[in-house]
Amino acid sequence: MAELNKKKESNPFVTLVWTLGFFIIWEIIAFLVEASPSIRSPEKVLPHFWKIIATAFDSKKINGSETAIQLVWLNAKVTLLRSAQGFFIGASIGFLLAILMSLTNVVKKIAFPYLMIIQMIPILGMAPIILSFTGDIDTSRVVIAAILTFYPVATNTLAGLEAVEKEKHELMYSYAAKKWQLYIKTLIPACIPYLFTGLKVSAPLAITASILVDTLQGGIGLGCLLSQSLKGAMTRYVFWLIVVISAAIGILSYLLMGIIEDLVSSHKKAERACKR
Amino acid sequence: MKTTKKINLDGISAIMYPLAFGIIVFLMWQGGVLNTLLHTDTNTLPPPSRINSIIFDNTAKILLNLKATIIVALIGLLLGSLIGYGTAIIAAQNKKWGSGGITLASAFNAVPIVALAPVMNNLTKHFSSNVDYRSMLAKTIVVMIVCIASMAVNAYRGLTELKPFAKDLMKTYAASNFTIFKKLLLPNSVPYVFTALRVSLPASIISALVTEYFSEKVIGVGRQIRENIVTAQFATAWAYIIVSCFLGIVLYVILLLVENSVMKNRKIK
Repeated sequence: MAELNKKKESNPFVTLVWTLGFFIIWEIIAFLVEASPSIRSPEKVLPHFWKIIATAFDSKKINGSETAIQLVWLNAKVTLLRSAQGFFIGASIGFLLAILMSLTNVVKKIAFPYLMIIQMIPILGMAPIILSFTGDIDTSRVVIAAILTFYPVATNTLAGLEAVEKEKHELMYSYAAKKWQLYIKTLIPACIPYLFTGLKVSAPLAITASILVDTLQGGIGLGCLLSQSLKGAMTRYVFWLIVVISAAIGILSYLLMGIIEDLVSSHKKAERACKR
Repeated sequence: MKTTKKINLDGISAIMYPLAFGIIVFLMWQGGVLNTLLHTDTNTLPPPSRINSIIFDNTAKILLNLKATIIVALIGLLLGSLIGYGTAIIAAQNKKWGSGGITLASAFNAVPIVALAPVMNNLTKHFSSNVDYRSMLAKTIVVMIVCIASMAVNAYRGLTELKPFAKDLMKTYAASNFTIFKKLLLPNSVPYVFTALRVSLPASIISALVTEYFSEKVIGVGRQIRENIVTAQFATAWAYIIVSCFLGIVLYVILLLVENSVMKNRKIK
């Protein structure tokens, strides 16, 4: 236990050092890129990190009405909203399908091989065809985010439902519990950690999906802004700002799932800490 | 006797149900019922027979693009997995600092790959003046980066989650570090490596397809899907989609077969 506590205390410090180390390496490479004579526009390869941050706080308006950070934030909000929509739809469908699969053997037998196959199919590569299906770019963003969210959630939840020990089933049986009671009291609480494993995988995926579909057609969204900034419509630092912000959103979405997990099942927090 | 019969029935229905479902969907697709259900015309969702004839008519061109995608995906996967494994070995030397590094590596999993593709395109412009070579390089680097994290995280677990006292036993044998690695750590990490590969193989194909969207040279299955959609040749795009799905499934099945044969040998031991 003492060792566990020690480990917990030292972890944030170690992570902090590593993160700092990462940025120091970035700066060194950026410095080398800047210094090398053959590279004419270093900001296209790798600019200094502080310059990207400086762009965020620059009050100069880049398209007449908005500063860089305002513009990026405006687009990021839209992207976040869309991926959140897709994420919730996908996660709910995945969860319901997992329950359905554990309820009836027929559904499980039909759906399980296809769940495996979906995993191997490059859905993101199918983004353009889904766009032509739905016709509406906003809908296809949500649909693709939902599809990508759906299978990690479904497979993980199903694994959680099936990992419940036989003794627990027998105990509930001896209580003469009804089927829905069995699910509410035993199976669903037991599969929560598995559900969150799935959610943690799929939250960054939903955001990637939304950004990728953006690049297929104009409009508003981080991906649209990304392709615009690449075409040279604005300073290159806007592009870098988008890269940094989309990375940050991806990581934050992962962390957010962890926080929600801690809130939902706080009694299992200690257990998880041990596993880590 | 009764139980074996039941298992057989179970096994048969496990194959028959999904197969029947697949055939029904296929027939609905071919018969145009799917088009009515999804409110699309036969242009955006052509029947399988038409897609099939396109694949056979353009075999040479499809194979050329398929080759480009496979090379990018597999070389990227190989390099990324090697780097990831190397990172895990270094990280396993010192668990306190290593686990922090692995946490950082797993954070990279959350970075959208789309953001990486244009960066790499700019970077490789300075490496070579040959478009073929540098767009290939840019794509491979992106795939590589995508594959590093999952291998590093899983291999780190394989190298550190040993049986109790296994390492102490090796120490009492006065085994050198290399021997410990060869006899204990490497075999112990094999199942974890396969776990990582099962995640990163589909990921490598997906990222190869996606980076092709951004690459300079117009080649690869992913790029062809996009080009054909832009020019509204949906049937051809579908042909490439079907090919990419087959690629994903075939490579995954090969991986499972390799995993099965490797793990079977281990069980007998």
